[in-house]
Amino acid sequence: MDTKEIEVDTLIIGGGIAGLQAAIDLADQGFEVLIVEKQPSIGGKMIGLSKVFPTLDCCSCICTPRMAEAEHHPNIRIMTYTEVEDVTRDNGRFVGRVVEKPRYVDQEKCTGCRLCEYACEMELPHEFEGNLGTRKAICVPFSNAVPQVAVLDIDNCLLCGRCEKVCPTGAIDFLQEPRHVRVDAGAIIVATGYEMLPAGFKKEYGGGRLRNVLTALQMERLLAPHGPYGRVLRPSDGKEPDSIAFVQCAGSRDRSAGVPYCSRVCCMYAVKQAMLLSGTLPLADLTIYYMDIRAFGKGFEQFYQNAKAMGVEFVKAKVAQITEDEQNNPVVRIEVMEEDGRVEERTHDMLVLSLGLVPAWNPAEAGLAAPAADGFVCCTEPSLAPCRTPEEGVFVAGAAAGPKDIPDSVVEAGAAAMEVATYLRGRSSSRLSGRESGGKTNDQMVLADVEG
Amino acid sequence: MRDRLKESMASASGCKREQNLRIGVYVCHCGGNISDVVDVQKVADAASRLDGVVVARHHSAMCSQAGQDLVINDIREENLDRVVIAACTPGLHEHTFRAAVVRAGQNPYLYEHVNIREQVSWCSKSDPQGATRKAIQLVAAGVAKSRLLQPLSPFTREVSRHVTVIGGGVSGLRAARDLSRGGFAVTLLEKSAVLGGHVLQWDRVYPTGKKGTDLIHELIDEVIADQNIVVHMNAELSDVSGCAGDFHLVGRYAPSDGNGQPGSHPFTLHSGAIVLATGFELYEPGKGEFGYGDHPEVITLPQLEHMLAEQGDAGSCLLHNGQSVRSVCLIHCVGSRQIEGIHQPGPDGKIHDYCSRTCCTSTLQAAAALRRRFPDVHVYELYRDIRTYGRDHESYYDAAAERGVIFLRYTPEHLPVVSPAEEAGGYPLRVTVRDTLTFGEEVNLPAGLVVLATGMLPGHPEIVIDRLKLSRSADGFLQEVHPKLRPVELAVRGVFVAGTCQAPMDVSESSASGSAAASKVAALLGKGTIELDPFRAKVDADRCQGEGKCVEACRHQRAVTLVHTGENGGHGMRAEVNVMLCNGCGMCVPACPHQAIQIDGWHLDQFDAIVDALVAEHV
Repeated sequence: MDTKEIEVDTLIIGGGIAGLQAAIDLADQGFEVLIVEKQPSIGGKMIGLSKVFPTLDCCSCICTPRMAEAEHHPNIRIMTYTEVEDVTRDNGRFVGRVVEKPRYVDQEKCTGCRLCEYACEMELPHEFEGNLGTRKAICVPFSNAVPQVAVLDIDNCLLCGRCEKVCPTGAIDFLQEPRHVRVDAGAIIVATGYEMLPAGFKKEYGGGRLRNVLTALQMERLLAPHGPYGRVLRPSDGKEPDSIAFVQCAGSRDRSAGVPYCSRVCCMYAVKQAMLLSGTLPLADLTIYYMDIRAFGKGFEQFYQNAKAMGVEFVKAKVAQITEDEQNNPVVRIEVMEEDGRVEERTHDMLVLSLGLVPAWNPAEAGLAAPAADGFVCCTEPSLAPCRTPEEGVFVAGAAAGPKDIPDSVVEAGAAAMEVATYLRGRSSSRLSGRESGGKTNDQMVLADVEG
Repeated sequence: MRDRLKESMASASGCKREQNLRIGVYVCHCGGNISDVVDVQKVADAASRLDGVVVARHHSAMCSQAGQDLVINDIREENLDRVVIAACTPGLHEHTFRAAVVRAGQNPYLYEHVNIREQVSWCSKSDPQGATRKAIQLVAAGVAKSRLLQPLSPFTREVSRHVTVIGGGVSGLRAARDLSRGGFAVTLLEKSAVLGGHVLQWDRVYPTGKKGTDLIHELIDEVIADQNIVVHMNAELSDVSGCAGDFHLVGRYAPSDGNGQPGSHPFTLHSGAIVLATGFELYEPGKGEFGYGDHPEVITLPQLEHMLAEQGDAGSCLLHNGQSVRSVCLIHCVGSRQIEGIHQPGPDGKIHDYCSRTCCTSTLQAAAALRRRFPDVHVYELYRDIRTYGRDHESYYDAAAERGVIFLRYTPEHLPVVSPAEEAGGYPLRVTVRDTLTFGEEVNLPAGLVVLATGMLPGHPEIVIDRLKLSRSADGFLQEVHPKLRPVELAVRGVFVAGTCQAPMDVSESSASGSAAASKVAALLGKGTIELDPFRAKVDADRCQGEGKCVEACRHQRAVTLVHTGENGGHGMRAEVNVMLCNGCGMCVPACPHQAIQIDGWHLDQFDAIVDALVAEHV
């Protein structure tokens, strides 16, 4: 087991939009940053989305530049497919033990040409596509992944050696071992984001077995430009749906699901998905079953009113039960609250569960402070310093501190970066001031390269 | 590679047509945004037939790593001299592709960006063939211009390490403190006689329940004690000018210790950056809006907060104007979420169609507090949607419900009506609401007090907006560069936005926004110098007759001046450009009768080439 050592000013755990933005903001101030990301690509949940509310910007278009900026920034290092095992304190600094999982592909040699992927004959459900499409046992995670390096899924590999034969650079390495790295950092930002509740979280909602009931992230993939089907189709029979409904608060604001809080983004993404669907399937009926529509951010209420004007039907109802008929059409059972309170069953072609968001990582597993009662990272001064945690030198940004949309995550990432900068300057001004003047911004690097 | 680069840099004097150029053209699908309308294969084929084009490709996402690598490899393998990428707006990715070109060892200004998304596919969805033709013309024009591109280098300028923060509320205080600790000198301008902003007025601040004054005084004390922060109270700006790294602010202030008359002290500041934290104004309901102004028992939420704070924990009954109150109706969304045709426009002639974000949780907090402190008082909430979206906010909703607050839901089509009670019974008012939660039943609520949850209005940093040409969003709040990814930056480089002047937000979000703005300032000014684009006016000494037409046309004071050349017996004059002051607007170019002044990167012969290519046949 070889142990490498990396010394940086800040260790950022999580390479989603919050982690990337915090890294860029710190690096632009001259601090050296290491981003550790457990997935094989940075980009987090955002890179898998279709378009974003309320601007309807194409998500790849605005997320990939951030990924590229982080990748090429002279002050940022990135370790993907890497997990944090534990963090200890040493003399006012942090020592993180991280382990890079084996890709069975040499990162230095792989050019991302995908010949291995084309040669591989093992087809598996594609997690990035919400398991709606397939991937090979060896593949580049997705088309705009950073880095463009293949990963071999050893658990599902037949060890046939086809990939090894076609690889033009000899990058396939079946004997690769986990690589342990010791990270010495002055401060830590936890930006580990969220996960969605599993579709099967509730037996009343079909327990995840109903084929035409999708999670919201699956619908994002169907709507994405390079989605698994290239268009919106029913998974059970490939038919174009004529009636699509959204079930809001699927898990959120629901003590029985263990998620008593509001997940904050679901109202808006449902409205957005409904809008996008009305563009791709102009004749489809679109219904949103909701408790309250929480369109609270800048431009959100106007977006919601536009959706209403476009004919999306908003029905105030908490869906009690989801079943399906013989044609696999999902059937929802609701109380029609705003009319006469009758209980009704309504059939749709397709249903989207706006599932609650839960924390993706428990920092206590790595020896950091235990999370708050809601499971998200504990914030000690939510009013004046929302990025501070109970531990000095450990800060939090984005959905790791509770569900959050992209702009709020980006703002919080900037705030976390400023907290870290202040904290580091306060601790060892001499060490930093010397390097700060020598540090380069991305722009300067651009010029230095040209002139050099 | 480096040698080739140096050669090309060395030969970079003047704008001349280079022979045997090797041009690469890349057409982006933008993941369907472009390719669903434009036939990208056709565009690439047409481009490949253009003079000098040795590579013409299309790719699903040129901005992705794979797309950028394609360009980098071609520059290296195919020895490309020029790169033309047809994709989205240059505002989004010009910088991305320039950086990629640099990584390949090429000068970033030998790259030309063609917009075939906003200018083609998005606006010509119904005519794919026409869109494809237009894309081909635009690509041809880009290629034509690229032949005349010259290698350029950005300018570097020294910056002031002083920052002016305008507004002494929570976000301004937070930004000032963070900047000071980041090693910057800060001047904080506050228009009133007290620091703290709106937070001072609030009895309890969610989600901690701390008193507003206690909370904000932690921050105020730190700012006052800070040696790097100068605070100007009663400050009024009279002028703002300059650009990133070099802003000048002029105004007057009066110390709040009583020694100065209003505006008695003039100030002049030289700042590298400006943080706008000018906050919001409270919505003032119109006369008669839900009975406001007609009945003294109709008050706003901030007035209730004030009342509760005044009353303290003393007494077991809620008093308003000395009268005991037995029933309170709180009406949500007053001055927010207004709908055209239903709500009356305000004095500014506008309706406020946005959500004010903070009022739901504040109202619920007040409702729960009323029930807790005065258990005999009936509390009703009349709402449209309860928006307790934030962390721990839902618990205020739960608490209010558990404490017996009664919720009724109205629709904007049937707004609640506040009228005087018809019969005596100790309740001066009656609120009539059509409650959709009980199937649209009309409910009459007896009310001793009606509280309007008023929203936020955009603040008025007019002088800054006017002088720096900032823009407002449709809702009247300041328009950030990109609402998703650049929420604290404004379109003018070096000017940042913090807190509620950008959009309604709560204390926590304002703090984060203040810190985030500070972070952006620190990144911009931290090195002591900043880089400016090389697109500046340049004088052709051989052509210039010293007539001074360009000096008259220049919109930036002193950017172009006339200097003595010493020729013609000492009477000769010639124009000279101060590149630090010039912003490359191009106003001087058409003013010159001799074509002696041009903008680097946008020469007139480049425009000629573009126009020639646009009118030629390429299909």
